Amino acid sequence: MERSEVFMDGFWHNNTIFAQLLGMCPLLGVTTSAENGFWMGAATLLVLLGSNLVVSLVRGVIPKNVRIPAYITIIAAFVTVVDMAMNAWMHEMYLVLGLFIPLIVVNCAILGRAEAFASRNSPLDSVTDAIGVGAGFTFALVLLGGVRELLGQGELFGFPVFGDGYPDVLMFILPPGAFIALGFILAGVNLINRRLERRRLAAQAGIKTGVETG
Amino acid sequence: MRFGLDREQWYMVLALLLVAVIAAMLLGLTDMFTRGPIQAAQKKALHQALEQVLPPHANDPQAEQLRMQGEDGAVLIYPGRDGNGRLTGLAWEVVAPDGYSGSIRILLGLEPDGRIHAIRVTNHRETPGLGDGIVHDHAWLASFVGRALSGTRWAVKKDGGDFDQFTGATITPRAVVRAVKRGLEFYRGHRRMLLDALVDADRKRHGGGQ
Repeated sequence: MERSEVFMDGFWHNNTIFAQLLGMCPLLGVTTSAENGFWMGAATLLVLLGSNLVVSLVRGVIPKNVRIPAYITIIAAFVTVVDMAMNAWMHEMYLVLGLFIPLIVVNCAILGRAEAFASRNSPLDSVTDAIGVGAGFTFALVLLGGVRELLGQGELFGFPVFGDGYPDVLMFILPPGAFIALGFILAGVNLINRRLERRRLAAQAGIKTGVETG
Repeated sequence: MRFGLDREQWYMVLALLLVAVIAAMLLGLTDMFTRGPIQAAQKKALHQALEQVLPPHANDPQAEQLRMQGEDGAVLIYPGRDGNGRLTGLAWEVVAPDGYSGSIRILLGLEPDGRIHAIRVTNHRETPGLGDGIVHDHAWLASFVGRALSGTRWAVKKDGGDFDQFTGATITPRAVVRAVKRGLEFYRGHRRMLLDALVDADRKRHGGGQ
């Protein structure tokens, strides 16, 4: 696979949230605002970057039978590093995200990338994959957080958008709002994917007829 | 073959050991670099909260913290003093174990006579948009100012008390009101002892060189 394909595959076609519906716990738990979503996504991206790189580097060394405990140890180490770093240098955000940072360990998407990609590909490809998957995850979190913040509080990244008269729709801040907003986002993503697919088929048909007439 | 393990099994053990050792080294290193900044960040967060709940003071309340034995474990008392060393107020953290989701930690700031100067929530996991009014609702927080144990009905209005509940959230403010009340009762029960201990601590600090 081309490196740009590796990125797009992680970012869009196999997006953790939109396509695989993995990592729902942090997705629904922390996305009450766009900013929370962004930092949760950034923390996940950093862990993914570290774990994918290291797993790829040791891919010939770790025996097959003990690879899962080895990967989990590597992932847990990076999660703890990110946890401590956020506690030290982003204390306020650390208090907001709270328990969800240590919980990155059990985000199956990360172990999934270690097992399905990093353990079979070069370090450079694995880092590309981590950036693609991590950016896709962050994008999904910011999108959902943004929608909930906008509809729930009339703000975006803490800045008022709709003005003081906006009646806060509390439901979007509460957990049910997360599910409802996610449902509409997934519908939108499917719509876009169908358009893309139709265009691709049309282009293919065009080439075919082109060949035939030529 | 030793301990009943063959070559391949020994290799697995060594591989896992190596991963664990390297991970532990990475964590040790990170701890070395972050320990100082984490303590500084916690101190700064507490400092900001203390500035909000203590009456005007000239000292560093954290430097003069005093450990007291409360009903459920040790309590750290932060005294505020003016330039002459006179006590202007004191603050400590009370815990509401009965929040909607987990404990709520509240920094309670009192005037020496036992009236509330201000309260601030320092840690909670209440529902955003419902229970977290205890952090953002300034009018609600202000409704505690100047209150004392006597002359106030320490309950939310729904329970016949003096404090507002929030739309859709009664449990959270109820827990906070209860915790603050317990804090005030603690002060009433230990006031003499507390003030004596604070005077003692102050004398020790200044008397050391004389």
